[in-house]
Amino acid sequence: MLLEWMMNGHAILYTGVTLAFWSTILIVGICYTIFDLGFRFDVAWFLTETSPFMWANLGIGLAISLSVVGAAWGIYITGSSIIGGGVKAPRIKTKNLVSIIFCEAVAIYGIIMAIVISNMAESFSGTTPETIGARNYQAGYSMFGAGLTVGFSNLFCGICVGIVGSGAALADAQNASLFVKILIVEIFGSAIGLFGVIVAILQTSKVKMGD
Amino acid sequence: MATTRILHLSRIPPCLAVFLGLLNVFNSGNCDEQVPLILWTSEGISMPTQSPPTAGHIVGQQQLASYLEKALNVGPRNVVLFLQDKMSIEDFTMYGGAFGNKQDSVFPNLEGALRSSASSVVLPAVSWPASNAVIGQLQDQLETSPLYMDPETLSQLRLNASSPALLVFRLPYGIGADLMSAKEVLSGNDEVIGQVLSIMKTQAVPYTAIYTALRPSREAASLSLEAGVGGGRSLLQYRSPYKDRERERERQRRIKEKAGVYGPVEFKENENTCILLWAKGLSVSILRSGNWEDHDLTSSTFGEGASPKLHGSSCDKTKARLVLNYENVLGHRSFKLIFGMSQRYYKVSARRWFTLDIVELEYDGTKATFNGSRNIYAPAEYSYRCELVTSFRWPLLVPRSSKDPSNQWRVTFEDFQIQGFNVTGSDFSYASDCAGFFSPGIWMGLMTSLLMVLVLTYGLHMIMQLRTMDRFDDPKGPAISVPQTE
Repeated sequence: MLLEWMMNGHAILYTGVTLAFWSTILIVGICYTIFDLGFRFDVAWFLTETSPFMWANLGIGLAISLSVVGAAWGIYITGSSIIGGGVKAPRIKTKNLVSIIFCEAVAIYGIIMAIVISNMAESFSGTTPETIGARNYQAGYSMFGAGLTVGFSNLFCGICVGIVGSGAALADAQNASLFVKILIVEIFGSAIGLFGVIVAILQTSKVKMGD
Repeated sequence: MATTRILHLSRIPPCLAVFLGLLNVFNSGNCDEQVPLILWTSEGISMPTQSPPTAGHIVGQQQLASYLEKALNVGPRNVVLFLQDKMSIEDFTMYGGAFGNKQDSVFPNLEGALRSSASSVVLPAVSWPASNAVIGQLQDQLETSPLYMDPETLSQLRLNASSPALLVFRLPYGIGADLMSAKEVLSGNDEVIGQVLSIMKTQAVPYTAIYTALRPSREAASLSLEAGVGGGRSLLQYRSPYKDRERERERQRRIKEKAGVYGPVEFKENENTCILLWAKGLSVSILRSGNWEDHDLTSSTFGEGASPKLHGSSCDKTKARLVLNYENVLGHRSFKLIFGMSQRYYKVSARRWFTLDIVELEYDGTKATFNGSRNIYAPAEYSYRCELVTSFRWPLLVPRSSKDPSNQWRVTFEDFQIQGFNVTGSDFSYASDCAGFFSPGIWMGLMTSLLMVLVLTYGLHMIMQLRTMDRFDDPKGPAISVPQTE
């Protein structure tokens, strides 16, 4: 019985990843404790020694990829509903493309922010924390934060718009007058993606990387 | 080359196993050359067993004398000495059939003699100035002068069991590095040994036989210290230009030659050691008219015969200052190298840490100051140790300001260890090394890898829950019909 449960792909994947993660943390923690090297655990060292470029580029990558995940998820939910509903009520197909466009907008926000953020990444010539300077560290962290902000906002915005759009398509297939009101719900859903973009722009407004 | 691994131990007779086992020489990292020495008695005569030297131990002159004395006091006082021009342990490894190929061994007579001997002493590593003097030592102990012979003259000699005799047989060694000739020469030497031993057997006189050489045939392999240059670790290590590297290697070789075992520099305050400093290399350089001139301070600070003057040093609970005074360094009559350390309690980590705040060079009234508090620190109970502390390559010491005279100077401390507080006895406490376990690069890699793994997990989760819709599947029912009109 347990074996059958374990043969499930999901179970193997999650147990594997969780085990790897926790065992790494446990072993590292045990080593620090046994060898009395706890004083070497230094978060500030980690934050100042890792390159600001890593943070900046993680932000850029997360901005576009999380937005695209949101958009894709939304489109797949809405799209399958439209296509399914359109079999019996073909009139819905043109009108409901608007939902798809709302989802796509989320991906566009993501790519615009990624381009904006990546334009702020400049090279600098310092190698030690003193020579790199506080401004570059701030730039790196801001870009990471902005990427995270816009990425996660767009991710959930896309899912939201997708589910609402799917409902709209199916409702429209039943009764054509329902569509316009449901569109208002979708507009609210789309606004939250925009909030993410605005905050990300604010975060990166003071970024100045370089010497 | 110097380590031998015995593969087929079970097939080798025990005496030979002891003989070959004792030929395991571990790299002691010492630059002295060594020569093996094998001593055995003729059949039927046994000596009191002497404890063999521990593995890797190099037998010096005194110890060799004691071995010989013990052997000759009880054993036969007729000594047959086979003195080869050159011999090293590697000859036995290469030609003695040590890898299970006993049939290829060029020492059958030697092995046979050791097997049939009642007792033998094998010293795999005798320091070669001592082995050179073995004739002299035997001469002293037997109180007779050596007779240089070969097998023909031996058969004409009448030996007496009661009167001591020292018969020396000189055996050659190959001149060039030609491996074939060395094998043939060793084989020829073994033949001579066989002949001599059979003649001694016919004479029915008990004897003690010694097989050794005047000098080693091979130089010890030199270790290369490439990894040490870097002070801490960096994955983005920049390869310095060729000339710099050559100079660095030269310096490493010179330091290795000198690197002996010496104690740290101790500063005592009221009979208690307060500050400890140790380094394998201490050097300073000054930039004069475009060239860097170095001065090596190691020999005047560490080692036997060096007594550095520590006037001006002081230490108390929170500050420690070590002043090394030198004379005539780079043209300056008085030169001081000052290490200033301080310790205090840091609230966030809730422990006491000490830092090497300044490294100062004081000469002719000028002070060149390097700041080290940013990088050189350790918990106050421990000492700080780093492979390389410099002010120019992966600098841990930086000039105090851009106008400071220290911008014209470079300091280099190799294998540097310092402790200024909580010194108990005259030993260092646990050494907190400057190189940590994870470097920043490793952490960055781990973080991004973790992110990728999470993304991959999520993607796999999504893909694995894709299922084809089979709700309306009815293999026996009619196919779906899609109307053409709305």
